Amino acid sequence: MTTDYHPLVKRLLDGELTLADLPSELRAEGAEALRTIGAADRAPVTFSPALDARVMTVVRRHARSPARRMWAWLNAPREVELRLRVRPWAACAGALAVAAGVVLLLTRVTVPSPSPSPSVPGRGIESQARSGMRDSVLVRFVLYAPGARRVAVAGTFNQWDSHAAPLIRAGTEGVWTTTLALPVGQHHYAFVVDGARWVPDPAATAVDDGFGRRNSVVAVTAQGGRTL
Amino acid sequence: MGLEGEATDADVVRAVLAGDVERYAVLVRRYRDRYARYASRMLGSADVAEDAVQDALVRAFDRLADCREPDKFAGWLFLILRNRCYAERRRQRREGRPLEPMDEAFAATDRPDGTFERGERRRALERALMDLTPEQREVFVLKHIEGRAYEEIAGLTGATVASLKMRMHRAYDRLRDLMKDHQ
Repeated sequence: MTTDYHPLVKRLLDGELTLADLPSELRAEGAEALRTIGAADRAPVTFSPALDARVMTVVRRHARSPARRMWAWLNAPREVELRLRVRPWAACAGALAVAAGVVLLLTRVTVPSPSPSPSVPGRGIESQARSGMRDSVLVRFVLYAPGARRVAVAGTFNQWDSHAAPLIRAGTEGVWTTTLALPVGQHHYAFVVDGARWVPDPAATAVDDGFGRRNSVVAVTAQGGRTL
Repeated sequence: MGLEGEATDADVVRAVLAGDVERYAVLVRRYRDRYARYASRMLGSADVAEDAVQDALVRAFDRLADCREPDKFAGWLFLILRNRCYAERRRQRREGRPLEPMDEAFAATDRPDGTFERGERRRALERALMDLTPEQREVFVLKHIEGRAYEEIAGLTGATVASLKMRMHRAYDRLRDLMKDHQ
């Protein structure tokens, strides 16, 4: 047996209808619902007169707390009005100076080598980049793989993670390239073509990895990287 | 500075933020009882409600700089108190303590103008209200005890009128079930 009120009775309780608006067969249910809800105690509630004093005692203590005062000062929003008087030519000169600075900064960060050698398809280590960091050297890897959909380089420098260093297509058809900062030392590596085919660098010395696969070797010195 | 009765909430808030801490007493006097009935019915106890209101007033002072619209201090204080009531309810639930039945002071006595039957029904309804979800109880308290319209409740709580009506209608059905022995 359902105990739900009829939707019209709920509208009666919501004050949208009167008892007279209900169909006669619902009036008894409506009257009962009004009696039930009408029993709610609407008597006002007044708290102890001491409440004000208790609140103000705590408030005064909080107001005196240096930490809270500091936080209130730091957290209080303030309106700041910034007025500038700038001559247009000065604004233009300033903008140009900022742009030149940004360009200079980007150039210093992104140029890997003072004398980059041209890309030659088929050569694995294309150039010996200058030191990018104190103990690492930027080394450029190049692979000619015209039919590949994706190429990555994995080696001892990235724990043989075949996803860590993807190569991107260079301007020449079929040429893939990437530049990595490698620590000084000797590294073994191989290219991973289409996520599955491990290919030694055709331009570098390859050594047996002991598991029937050939890895290439690059020696990185402070002067750059060179294949063995 | 005007008289206390003339100062708007925004005036008082600005004065307190400017360092006149004592002016906060104006807001305390103004709002200490305004939500007393709401808190009492939500928490089932006037004593617990008084603690909640005190805590809400202190928190409001502590965070007064966050009151972006000082002329709407009342609504802002209500939200703080509401959060406090919900937190108290969660705490009671965590500790496995059911909400107490309403205090004797305002639930167990028959009103002079009422009959014993009406008093019984009133007490049964107070107990039944404690069995509603906090959201259902809140909308019931605000609508049928505080006498606010759905639109006002929506403005206070941030809920939509449609969702408030849904909560209320479910509360009606639940109350009918709980009150079936007192109809």
